Amino acid sequence: MDLFLQFLANGLVTGSFYALSALGLTLIFGLMRVVNFAHGEFYMLGGVLGWFVTARLGLDFFSGLLVVAAVMAAFGWMVDRFLIERVRGQGEEPGILLTIGLSIFLANSALLLAGTAPLKIDGPLSNAPVFLGPVVLTKMRIFAVAVCAALILAAHLLIKKTKLGRAMRATFQDPMAAQLAGIKTAHVYASTFALGAVLAASAGMLLGSIYSAQVAVGGVVSLKAFVVVILGGMGSFAGAIVGGLVLGVAEAMWGGYVSTGMVDIIGFVIVILTLIFKPYGLFSARAERA
Amino acid sequence: MRALRCAQVIAISVLGTAPMLALAAETVKIGVIQPLTGSVAYNGKADVNGAKLAMERRNAKGGVLGRPVELVIEDGQCSPANSVNAAEKLIQKDKVAVLSGAFCSSATAAVMPVAEKYKLPFLTGVSSKADLTEKGNAYFFRSAETDALLANAFAKILADNLKLKKVAYIGVNDDWGRGGVEEFSKDLGARGVENVLTEYFDHGTTDFYTLLAKLRTSGADGVFVAAETQDGAVLVKQFKEFGIDMKVFGVGSWATSDFVNLVGEASEGIYAAVPYVASLPGEANTDFVKTYQAQYGQAPDKYAAAGYNATNILMDAIERAGSTDAASIRDALKATDYQAPNGRYRFTANGQAYGFNAALVQIEGKQPKVVEMTEVQPPSTLTAQGK
Amino acid sequence: MALERNTLLILAALAALFPLVVNDLYLLHIGIMVLFYCVLASSLNLTLGYVGEFSLGHTAFLGLGAYTAAILSTSFGLPLWLTVPLAGAVAALFGLLIGAITLRLQGPYFVIITLAFAEVLRIVANNWVGVTNGPMGIAGIPQPDLLAAGSTLLAKRVYFYIALAIAALALYLSYRFVYSSAGRAAVTVRENRYVAQSVGIRPFAHALRSFVLGAFLAGLAGGFYAHYISFVGVDVFRFSFMATMIIMVLIGGKGTLLGPLVGALVVTLAEEYLREFQELRLSIFGLVVMLVVLFLPKGLMGFLTLRRERRVATTVPPLPRLSKGGAA
Repeated sequence: MDLFLQFLANGLVTGSFYALSALGLTLIFGLMRVVNFAHGEFYMLGGVLGWFVTARLGLDFFSGLLVVAAVMAAFGWMVDRFLIERVRGQGEEPGILLTIGLSIFLANSALLLAGTAPLKIDGPLSNAPVFLGPVVLTKMRIFAVAVCAALILAAHLLIKKTKLGRAMRATFQDPMAAQLAGIKTAHVYASTFALGAVLAASAGMLLGSIYSAQVAVGGVVSLKAFVVVILGGMGSFAGAIVGGLVLGVAEAMWGGYVSTGMVDIIGFVIVILTLIFKPYGLFSARAERA
Repeated sequence: MRALRCAQVIAISVLGTAPMLALAAETVKIGVIQPLTGSVAYNGKADVNGAKLAMERRNAKGGVLGRPVELVIEDGQCSPANSVNAAEKLIQKDKVAVLSGAFCSSATAAVMPVAEKYKLPFLTGVSSKADLTEKGNAYFFRSAETDALLANAFAKILADNLKLKKVAYIGVNDDWGRGGVEEFSKDLGARGVENVLTEYFDHGTTDFYTLLAKLRTSGADGVFVAAETQDGAVLVKQFKEFGIDMKVFGVGSWATSDFVNLVGEASEGIYAAVPYVASLPGEANTDFVKTYQAQYGQAPDKYAAAGYNATNILMDAIERAGSTDAASIRDALKATDYQAPNGRYRFTANGQAYGFNAALVQIEGKQPKVVEMTEVQPPSTLTAQGK
Repeated sequence: MALERNTLLILAALAALFPLVVNDLYLLHIGIMVLFYCVLASSLNLTLGYVGEFSLGHTAFLGLGAYTAAILSTSFGLPLWLTVPLAGAVAALFGLLIGAITLRLQGPYFVIITLAFAEVLRIVANNWVGVTNGPMGIAGIPQPDLLAAGSTLLAKRVYFYIALAIAALALYLSYRFVYSSAGRAAVTVRENRYVAQSVGIRPFAHALRSFVLGAFLAGLAGGFYAHYISFVGVDVFRFSFMATMIIMVLIGGKGTLLGPLVGALVVTLAEEYLREFQELRLSIFGLVVMLVVLFLPKGLMGFLTLRRERRVATTVPPLPRLSKGGAA
């Protein structure tokens, strides 16, 4: 029983990390129908920039996080305005190819600039173990889960309560009608992309302080984020959260009771099963339009 | 006719870009295939750094056969297909005299038949899969330890010094990790140490908590880890986070300053079984460490030493062969007796190096302290012992 | 249609002469790799260019073909001329199975589910040590007997001709498929799925047909690869192969027959030349992909076709003059 609780705790912790990582992707996926293959690279950039501002510029964790968020928001905005904007009307394929090219470019340029060694980010709390009954966690992990929850809540409030959020939801429902209502959809798209980039980068910096920031991590993160988004349904917040937690717990259980060597396979099997039986995810209410 | 024109354009552009004739070579060329991109790029670059240092020192002393030595470096990416491509280019286009590489055992295994086909000596300083030297390839040499030899060298020390009764084995899920786990498990098992857990993880895993939960309930008093710097550092950090109190010993690029920096305080007391560490005693090593540090700003690790030694062995052999003729170089390689920063290298008839030192170190105060040193025995003594 | 066929025939003839004229082993090696990638790119083009669906799992078929050939030749001792077709057949079978499941979805869902299948196969290959030898891979795949005796130059030439034969087969099959009613139906599905259905074309069946054919060709390429490189490891399932294939189809021009060929040529040569900039190589690649998507969306062949059409359109024939008598 103890072991089960530990696995469950592990799964919930990693699951909330997955949820945060996938949130940006589901927004971009759901609103703009752009399959952003560079999502993992945004996460990676968050980690690398996080190392840069804390280790090289000497900022503390929170100020560093703000700086990283600002930089990545601007970066995401520019990527959308100068790259994605040009291929917006042409279907999904150019977007896919464009973001694949972008991800290759970003990953390798970062490799040149930051080097191959794993980078350490100093978190604000220690990594000493914390014992909750039979379950072991660390202060930093609990902190990270709290920050995840805070960021998710913040994003949710942004979308539900602000003018920009309303504009996003309107564009999500029907771009043509939104334009007719006077919403500058170009700005909405760019802001959404920027928001997605910020969420990914924050996740990258946060998790970089728990594990370590590495340049080569982009591919794996993208794949896991896709799994969560498919499971939860494109564009669904709640879906991303539930999807992340389900993936985290499923991986922990499989790794614990079967074998840790094949853990990654769980995510892909989930994707395949979801796409066969419930293609639009657990939470999405969208129907297909002709 | 449009079709003809189309075809003409395509054909001319192909022929027109055919490589130009190579200029007459003044230098002695050594081809190097290492992963410069990809997940082990970190270690591949260290190897190249060591190789470059060896080349520069040699050139400062007049080079080889009176000519300067040139390293032609290609990115094999640790992938068999890319490494074969790189090998073909080095041999055909650059006309190198010898080949060095390709880091990962799978890539090396793919390049070996190419070297044999062109009858070019091929030396690896890193690939540790035992059967590479058993394939009967007359042109292949290995100036590194194999998992089997390392296990054999350390099993006694580990079992006796660390007084272990039950050991858990954790390895990265690739040929090197699996090989290491199997060999150490076999050798320690032969000394009465029980294997209570064997688990593999994928390279790039960041969260080991599930594995650690299993480890805690396994009842082991020691854990063996076969992992490289990136994975190993995260794993060791999480050991301490998880409150695990066992003796840890690892193989791979542990005990380097990068590793210790990443792990922080959790590195206290960790043991590592390494064929090279910067704190090995001896004048040759101190000199090597000092020069490497001056040039690259950090102490050399196992891979830098591997690159350094491999390049020196090759240059030495070419000098003794008296020419760049492949067959003479091969014979000269067979007769190698090279004094390295970490001991003396000689080759068996199969091209396997032996006689050099391997060390068991423990990290104290963020520095690796050498606890025990031992000589790596040639495989024939292993067969004599009935392994 | 005539342009494509004639160009292909002329290129085939030139390629057949290539090994007889060239003695440099390295150039022959490059030529073999170009032909190999040509087959792969053509196979991807069938689904991507003609059905319009983006499969990111195509490496699955390459890998399946490679492992099949490797296992059949090392464990059962079958010769090359048996293993390669069998590799293609096994890949086609899996293409049928995977396609039956995945082709029910479109757009980004199809992309991700094909990627998921490729990843599952990769993980299985990495862990099923009994069959695939796991991460250790299958080494020492035997060469055809008659090559063992001859010189390396002869061996390279023979391999070139084998690759040429496979490439010719691939392009021939693609050509026949594209210019058949099945091919035209596939294009209709690409252009507008719903209209296709309304005229009685079943999108699923046609997409499946082109998918299986693509899988078969990729499997053939995989089988050849196994024998030529003589080592098959889990890295055949790596995403980098997929990225290379995509870039080739994209640069050459999807939806054309010559496109993949041109793409394979350009990209392979570029890769070899970019070796000079080793470390920048992949960054430049990514940049090139982005630029091609933005500025040359139809690839090189598309660009050439566009220019040709534009030229034809501007040479308007003069209007017939009306003479006084009324006759034109």
